[in-house]
Amino acid sequence: MNQFITAVLTSLSSGAIYALMSISLVLVWRSTRVVNFAQAGQAVFTTFIGYEVTIRTGSYWVGLFVAVICGGLVGAIIDRFFMRPIFKRVKSGPIVMIAPVVATLGLLGLIQSVIGFIWGFNYVSIEAPVSTQGYKLFGTVVAFSPFNLMVLIVVTIAMLLLTLLFQKTNIGLALRASAFSPEIARLSGIKVDAVRTLGWAIAGAAGGLAGMLYVPGSYLHPNAMDVLLIFGFIAAVIGGLDSLFGAVAGAMVLGFAINFAASYVSYKLVFTTAFALLIIVLLVKPNGLFSSSKGRKD
Amino acid sequence: MNNTSVKKRSFIFLAIGWVLLLIGDRVDELVLSQGALVATYALAIASIILLTGYSGQLSLGHGALMAVGAYVAALTTNNLGLPPVIALVLATFTAGIFGLVLGFSVARLSGPYLAGTTLALAVSLPTIANQFEILGGEQGVAFDIGLPPARFGEDFSLYKWFFWICALAALIMIWFISNILASRYGRTFRALRDNPVAASLAGINTGRVKVLAFALSSGVAGLAGGLLVMLISGVSPSAFPLSLSFLLLTGAVVTGVYNLKGVMLGGLILVAIPEIAESVVSRIGGSEGFTVALPGFLVSALLILAVVFTPNGPGHLLHKRKH
Repeated sequence: MNQFITAVLTSLSSGAIYALMSISLVLVWRSTRVVNFAQAGQAVFTTFIGYEVTIRTGSYWVGLFVAVICGGLVGAIIDRFFMRPIFKRVKSGPIVMIAPVVATLGLLGLIQSVIGFIWGFNYVSIEAPVSTQGYKLFGTVVAFSPFNLMVLIVVTIAMLLLTLLFQKTNIGLALRASAFSPEIARLSGIKVDAVRTLGWAIAGAAGGLAGMLYVPGSYLHPNAMDVLLIFGFIAAVIGGLDSLFGAVAGAMVLGFAINFAASYVSYKLVFTTAFALLIIVLLVKPNGLFSSSKGRKD
Repeated sequence: MNNTSVKKRSFIFLAIGWVLLLIGDRVDELVLSQGALVATYALAIASIILLTGYSGQLSLGHGALMAVGAYVAALTTNNLGLPPVIALVLATFTAGIFGLVLGFSVARLSGPYLAGTTLALAVSLPTIANQFEILGGEQGVAFDIGLPPARFGEDFSLYKWFFWICALAALIMIWFISNILASRYGRTFRALRDNPVAASLAGINTGRVKVLAFALSSGVAGLAGGLLVMLISGVSPSAFPLSLSFLLLTGAVVTGVYNLKGVMLGGLILVAIPEIAESVVSRIGGSEGFTVALPGFLVSALLILAVVFTPNGPGHLLHKRKH
C-alpha cells in the first residue's frame, strides 16, 4: 500500500516536470512546426542564471522568477534572431525539410558548449527552498517530500495561468488562431510573426521553470536536461504534439509508466519503459492518445 | 542501370583504392591511424546521406545503430572466435536487420517524429545496453582483432592493418551505395524525397521504400560502428554518446546532405576538428570547461554555418556560381 501511494505521488511530481517540458515543445511546434531540440540547452542556460541569482541573493524564489523571465527572453531572442532568418534563407532544395531541425540541434550544441565555457562541467545543485526529506507515512519514510509537493503546486498554478492566458485573453486567441491557420490569422489582422515569437517566449519560460523545479532534486550540468527533453518529447508525442491538454496528459501517462515500472520492477527500466511506450504509441495510435486534430500531414 | 556508368564508377573506386594504398606506404603511424578514422567517419556519413539526403528521413540516432554493429562485431569475435572480416560482415547484417525492425515502427513517420524517436533511441540505447551482462555493462567488451597476418611481413604495423581494413570496407561499401543510388531503388528514394504524394501516385509503395532505406542505412552504420570500436579496441556504451550522432550529422550537412561525393571531406573535417581545438587550447590556454567544450562548440558552429550559408552543400554553391 505504502509502495503504491509513493509510486502515485512521485509519478505526479515527475509527470508535472515532464509536462512543463512537453508544453514548451508543443508551444513551439504549434507556432513554428519545428520540434525545438535546443529547448534542453535553453532550459539549462536559464537554470544556470537562476542558480547564480539564487546564490547571490540567497533566495530560491528570486532565482526562480529571474529564470522564468530569462527563459522567456532567450526563447524570444532565438526565434527573432535565429529561427526567423533561417526560415527566410533556406528556401530551396531537399534540405528545406530538415534545415530547421538541424538548426535547433546546432543551437543545442552551441548553447551547451557556451554553458561549458562559462560554468564548466562540474555538477552543481541548487538548494531547495523546502525540505527534500520524504514525508512519514504509516511510520515509514516515503520518497515524496515537501519539495515534490511544492513542484506539484507550482506546476498546477503555472498550468492554470496558461489556461487563463489561452482561453480568456485576446493574446491567447491570437496564439490559438495563428497555430490553427496562420494565413487566415494574418488576414484577420494578427501579426503572426510577433505571435510566433511570443509562443517561443512562453515555451522558453516554461523550460526555465522546468529547470528550476528539476534541479534541486537532481544536479545541474550542461547536459542535465537532455533526458528531460527526451521525456518531454515522448510526452508530447503521446499527447499528439499539437494539443496543450494532450501534452500534460501525455506527461502524466509517461510519469506513471516510468515510476511504476521503476518502483515495481526495477529502476533500471526507466529508459526502456519510456522508449517502449513511445514505440507502442507510434505503432498503435500515431496521432497521439489525446489529439483533437485528424491525421498528421507534416 | 547503365552498364558503362557502373564500369566507370568501379574504375574510379579502384583508382582511389590504389592511391590510398600508395599513400598508406609512405606516411607514419599517426597519419595511418587518423586515416583509418577518416575512412570510418566517411562511411558513417555515407549512411546518413543515404537516409537523409536521398530518402528525406532525418535520423538523429545513427550513433545507436553504430553501437548495435559494434557490439555484434566485438561479441562474435570474442565468443565465437570468428575472423574480423566475418565479424564485420555479421555486424553489418545484424544492424541492418535491427534497422528493418525499427524501421517498421518509425520509418513510416516523417520529419520531427522520426527525428525525435531516433534521438530517444540514441539516448536510451546505451543505458539499455548497461543492463545486459553479456554486453559488459559500463566497462563494455574488449575488441581485439589481433595482429595483422604474418604473410604481410614483419614491418607491417597494426595501424597499417587498421587503415587497410577501414579504407577497404569504406571503399567497397560506398561503391555499393553509389551503385544502389544509381539504380531503380535510388530513383524511388529520390522520388519519395522530392514529392511523396507524386511518388505514391506513380505506384511506389512509400512505406516499404522508407523502411528499405532505413534498413540499408542501418547496415552501413553498423559496419562503421564495428570499424570504430576496432580502432579504439573496445566497445562500451560511452563510446556512442549523443554527440557522436550530432557529429556525423554535422559531417553530412557540411559535405552537402545530398551528395555522396563529399564524404571523404566530411570524414577529414570530423577528424580535424578535435586536432584544431587542441592546438587552439595549447596556443591560448583557457579553463578546463573551455578545453572540454571547444570541440563541441566548433562542431555546432560549423553545423549552423553550413545550414545558413551552404544549405545544399559546398558543391551546390560552386554549381550556382558557374551560372
